Amino acid sequence: MAVKTGRGFAAIEYPTGMNQNGDPSQAWIKVKPDGRIDVFAGTSDIGNGSKTIQSQIVAETIGVPYEWITYDNSNTDSSPVCTGTFASRATFVAGKAVEKAAENVRQKILEIAGKELEIDPADLEIIDGEVIAKGAPQKKISVPDVAAAATWGYGELLTGTGAQLKPYATIVEPETGKVDLPPHSAISYASCAAEVDVDEETGVVTVKRLWQCYDVGKSINPTLVEGQIEGGAVQGLGLGILENCYPYYPSVEHRGGQFGAYLVPGMEDLPQIDTLIIENPSADGPFGAKGIGEMANNAQPPAIATAVFDAVGVWVTELPITPEKVLRALQKKAAGADAPKRDGKTVIFDAELSVNAVGTGIAFGTAA
Amino acid sequence: MNLTINGVETPIESGPLTSLLDVLREELGITSPKAGCEQGGCGACTVLVDGEPRRSCLTPAASVDGAAITTVEGLGTPENLSPVQQAFTHHYAAQCGFCTSGMMMASQAYIDGGGTDDREAIQHALGGHVCRCTGYVKIIDAVAAVVRGESFDPNVTAAGTAMTNLGGMA
Repeated sequence: MAVKTGRGFAAIEYPTGMNQNGDPSQAWIKVKPDGRIDVFAGTSDIGNGSKTIQSQIVAETIGVPYEWITYDNSNTDSSPVCTGTFASRATFVAGKAVEKAAENVRQKILEIAGKELEIDPADLEIIDGEVIAKGAPQKKISVPDVAAAATWGYGELLTGTGAQLKPYATIVEPETGKVDLPPHSAISYASCAAEVDVDEETGVVTVKRLWQCYDVGKSINPTLVEGQIEGGAVQGLGLGILENCYPYYPSVEHRGGQFGAYLVPGMEDLPQIDTLIIENPSADGPFGAKGIGEMANNAQPPAIATAVFDAVGVWVTELPITPEKVLRALQKKAAGADAPKRDGKTVIFDAELSVNAVGTGIAFGTAA
Repeated sequence: MNLTINGVETPIESGPLTSLLDVLREELGITSPKAGCEQGGCGACTVLVDGEPRRSCLTPAASVDGAAITTVEGLGTPENLSPVQQAFTHHYAAQCGFCTSGMMMASQAYIDGGGTDDREAIQHALGGHVCRCTGYVKIIDAVAAVVRGESFDPNVTAAGTAMTNLGGMA
């Protein structure tokens, strides 16, 4: 009996937003007479930072400082429709809506600035709050001055709307489910490697380290992306070894009756987390962004399960990997039983087949 | 009963067995302590009682009669954030924010008690506080930063420094 160390990894893909069905987001932007920008959008910020990120997108698209943006999602009467913060869509779908609205506002600013400067709007650009003639930077007018001119001189409102809705697809081959459009959904990719200690005597699995690699298309705000990845890592750790509403589902006899009966990772369960962000841009998201929300807790449980196999040579095929399940698997292994298989379900991973398929002589599952 | 709450002596009308959490939230409208599990398990209701972190949900008001209570409202103001509040903002240590009040009060007690920037020590000190969003990493970063005496420009958060990140993208 000893504590054994193992490593394993898992790779996942995850779609962003709803596919081939309606989940629209809309945005409306107006410019105050002093040049400050009001963004009206319905996306709820549930702590994912979508207000920050969408404000960044507006500031970057128009060409004004971030501090000039006020993002108002305070109520559903004044804000256009956003179906919500779910399916990892707040940046990818709703962010695209505000980007489109911001681009329309930018064009309006350039039109008025063109009249003021007597220059073709196509020859103007907006940099850090100033409309500047391309190639002749001494010819310029600030966005606040443009907004004042629009308000008091031209009797116009600098405003723009934008909306994002994935195109509807029609099934053209009922047999196969083939549709008439390519899938309109950014696929994010991620992988996670886990290092665990498994105590053969107690069955306790301790996750010591998680290496996390996430493709987010474009990391619009790296700190917030890290927050999603780190948060997802610890949720994934919980799903992997702790969290279970009904330990003997579908029996409800052993369900948790109080807060402490549902185990979530605490601060002292925190492994060392190494995060790597990959930027493989999407065609449809704002600035190439994809979603990094729900996917963040998907790769850890299989990575941990693989690491447990690496450590003690048993597959635990039901989550969470509790001490009881580890000990039962070890008992079966000691008794010479086959790897666990559940009725009606196939254990997808076949160690022998995998090693043969890889065929490089690197035996999967050997100790690190 | 009387409590000195964030430096202000306050008469309490609630019954003696009312939880300190209910006194603060319901009688006095001080809403930074959160009613999470209300079983002492999550840490979201933590306040300082004479400088010590306590679960206000499990603390009968009578047991702290006359004590000095500190909540997040007593740490800093929106215009003048305390070092812990600045660090939490700078390091993006709050996502949904529900655990944040309790985390900050426990952090304040840890720092006031001479805690170091050793990550394991911080994890141990805040070990009774559950967070579902952040994965704890940035909370530990924030506490360590305060211990090291790092100061932050409130207008430039760690998230804010990334604001120019989009430059050059199509």
